[in-house]
Parts: sequence; C-alpha cells; structure tokens
Amino acid sequence: MANINSNDIEINSLEMLNEFLSATDNSENAFYISSVPEICKTSPCVLGIDEAGRGPVLGPMVYGTSFCPVEKSEILKKLECADSKDLTEEKRDVIFSNILNSLDTVGWAVEVISPNTICNNMLKRAKYSLNAVSMDSAIGLIRAAEAAGVNIEHIYVDTVGKPEKYQAYLLSIFPQYKITVAKKADSTYPIVSAASICAKVTRDHALQIWKFQEGLDLTHKDFGSGYPGDPVTKKFLAEYCDLVFGFPQLVRFSWSTASNVLDKAAYHVEWEDPEEEKSEIPADTTSITSFFKVVPPKSLHTKKRKRHEYFTQRCLSNQVEF
Amino acid sequence: MAIHIQSGKTKACHNTQLKIQYMPFKIAADSEANVSSYFDKYVKLKEDSNYNASFRGYPLTGKKIDIPDGYKGVILHERIKPVTDKDDRNFYVINEFNSFMYWNWDKVPSKNDPILQTIDDWFDIAEALHSPIIEQ
Repeated sequence: MANINSNDIEINSLEMLNEFLSATDNSENAFYISSVPEICKTSPCVLGIDEAGRGPVLGPMVYGTSFCPVEKSEILKKLECADSKDLTEEKRDVIFSNILNSLDTVGWAVEVISPNTICNNMLKRAKYSLNAVSMDSAIGLIRAAEAAGVNIEHIYVDTVGKPEKYQAYLLSIFPQYKITVAKKADSTYPIVSAASICAKVTRDHALQIWKFQEGLDLTHKDFGSGYPGDPVTKKFLAEYCDLVFGFPQLVRFSWSTASNVLDKAAYHVEWEDPEEEKSEIPADTTSITSFFKVVPPKSLHTKKRKRHEYFTQRCLSNQVEF
Repeated sequence: MAIHIQSGKTKACHNTQLKIQYMPFKIAADSEANVSSYFDKYVKLKEDSNYNASFRGYPLTGKKIDIPDGYKGVILHERIKPVTDKDDRNFYVINEFNSFMYWNWDKVPSKNDPILQTIDDWFDIAEALHSPIIEQ
C-alpha cells in the first residue's frame, strides 16, 4: 500500500496534528489518513463525511472522514461524538483526542483545501465552483479510504446543496455502497459527528499555527474567526490590505467580504474579459436580411482591404515614419 | 512624430538579477510593489516546466522567456508625455534585462500570445529586412 500522506508523521496527539500542519505548505492542499485499524478491513464499516470552514473569508476549508466497524459503532457515543454542534473549541479538542486514543477501532482522514486553492478555482476562466470542489474532496476521501483497505458498507454525508441530487451523484460513482446524504447529518449520525470533529479541529489548528509566508507577524487572535461578521476579521481585512497585491494568501479573495474591501482600498486592476474574445461577431459578418436590400454597388469597392492575419495576430502594423 | 531612445547619458545599470514579470492585467498604479513577499514566494515550477502563481486569488500560468542572442530587453521611461500626436517623444533607457517571466491568467503561454509570436517571428523578419544583402 503506497503512502498517500503528505509526509510520514503519525498523528496521535494534538501536538502531532500541529506538527503535521506546520510541515505543509499552507498555500497548497494537504492530505492525511490515519492508519486503518485491522478490524476496519475485515468487518463492514460505516463512514461519515463532513466539512468545516465553508463560509469564512479566511483560512482553509477542511473535509474530514471517519470510519469504524458497524458492530463497534457504540464506541462513538462513548467518545462523545453524539452531537458536534455548539461545542466549544476546547471541547472539540478533547473529543478529537478521544478519537486519537481509539485508533485501534476508529480511523479518520482529512483534506485541507488551502484558501489559495479555493480562490484559484473560483477565479479560473471556466469557474470551478465551491460545491464542485467540495464534492470532489468528499469523493477523494472515499477513494482514499477504499485504497487503504477500509471495508465500507454505508456512507453518510452531510449535504452540499440539495441532498437528493448529491446522493444520486455519489451513488452513480459508488454504486457498490449504501449512501445516505442528509441535512444536519452531523447531529443525526455519530459517525458524521466524528468526521465533523476531525475536520473542525484540523481547521482550528491550521488557523492557530498559521504562518504568513508574506512575513506578517500576526496570530489567529489578530485575524479572528474569518466569519464576515467578526469585527476582528473586518479590522484585519481593512488594516492588512496591500495596495498592489491585496491580501496575504490566508484570505479568500473570491469572497465578497474581501473583494469589497479591495474595490475600495486597493489599486484598480483590469483583467482581460474571457467572454469578450469569443462572443464578438466578426466584423465582416453579413446579416441574412441584407441580401434582400438594394445596396449601392460603390460601397462594395470602397471597403478597406484587410491585412493578412499573419500581421494582425502578431500586432504588426505599417510604420512609415521613424 | 519621431521617437528618440536615449541610452547614453543615464546610467543604465545592467542588472542581470533584475526580474521582470509580464502580468496579464492592467493596474491603475505606478509604484513600488512588495513582489518578494507577496508574489515570488508563491511562484512554483510545474512538471511541464511552466510556472504557477497567484495574483489577488487569480491563478496564473507563466513561462520564462529568454531574449534571443543579439537582442536585449530595455525598460524605457518617458519623462514628459506628448501633448499631441505630432510631438517628438523621448524615451530613456532605465534598465536592461535578458529574460523575463511571461504570465497568463489560467492559460499556458503559447504561440497564441501576441508577445511570444513577436519574439519567435518578428525577430526573423527584422533580420531578413535589415541584414545587409550579400551578393552570391
């Protein structure tokens, strides 16, 4: 089995999680999968998927999965993975540590999708939406668990958009599994709560240890939660707006919270419009009705001779004077 | 209208370390930019020997372009903008370079890009036009 982790760190404590995150380049995605407990390879397993940090204007979005044998699923309640909602950051850390202490029964994986990857995708010429990024990440997690030998029986996913459509899409890719896509799956299914904890804790820690490659000496207390309503985040966006480059790459430029600040504070930038080049009707196109009109023959002859495209494509024009 | 390019008086520092970035957008500014902290750090070489980078979240694909032998790149500065089309224009060489990074927005630089066509083709044309004719 090939090692698909970004490096060889074995995450068995919060400190090791921090070490793993520090060792990755925070402008790129990172992937981690725990070692798969032997029992998860033999007994049929449930596998939960959830995401953290979809809305904030700062930091990575993290997709998480956790899995355990169906017959052992009561362990999740013991680990307090019953309902991940409304938990404090400290409480989530405790539950995550519980999961790490049960790695003989429960396995987990996360994909950290960097803020730079998110905006690069959303600002492509052919836009790759956040929903598409999310679904592909979930599919990647299932494939990674499969490849690591997890005996998957039933997959539970917290929804992105309409649950029916998403469920049908996942079933078309993985017809061999039972798949349940539901709203608020993290409070309904303990295995999704566990996945949600893994994702949330990874995102929390990614922000706590965030090192600005731009060299800014700031901590997560200086930039806040990243939720558009957070006054600390608002202040951070206003104060650390570079006139030319905009923001450090912690920020998701494609969020309106960020682009509104740029529109007001930074130098105006104009990109070529990708639509413009294609939608334009060539200048010499004749409308079909014009064939029925009487056109004075003269206008056909006064038409300016077109330059050969060899010159126009190379932006070459006549230059007589020097 | 005549265009004069002055390179004698100004001390054009030939700086081979000078990094020119040809960006695929217009910016309404003429100022210093913190390129090393905000841009260079994120420039990454890809397997196909092109480069990746980002500007304000936009994905960029770049290629290092070497100026062919016998040519050099110059950066010109015009101190006084002309008032009419007929005025003479004076440009001063303020820097020189022999390679630059050409960036496209989410598109691999290729011969569809006018400036790369120019380098590949125009130099040949110029050579054919301006070389002394040798009788055979």
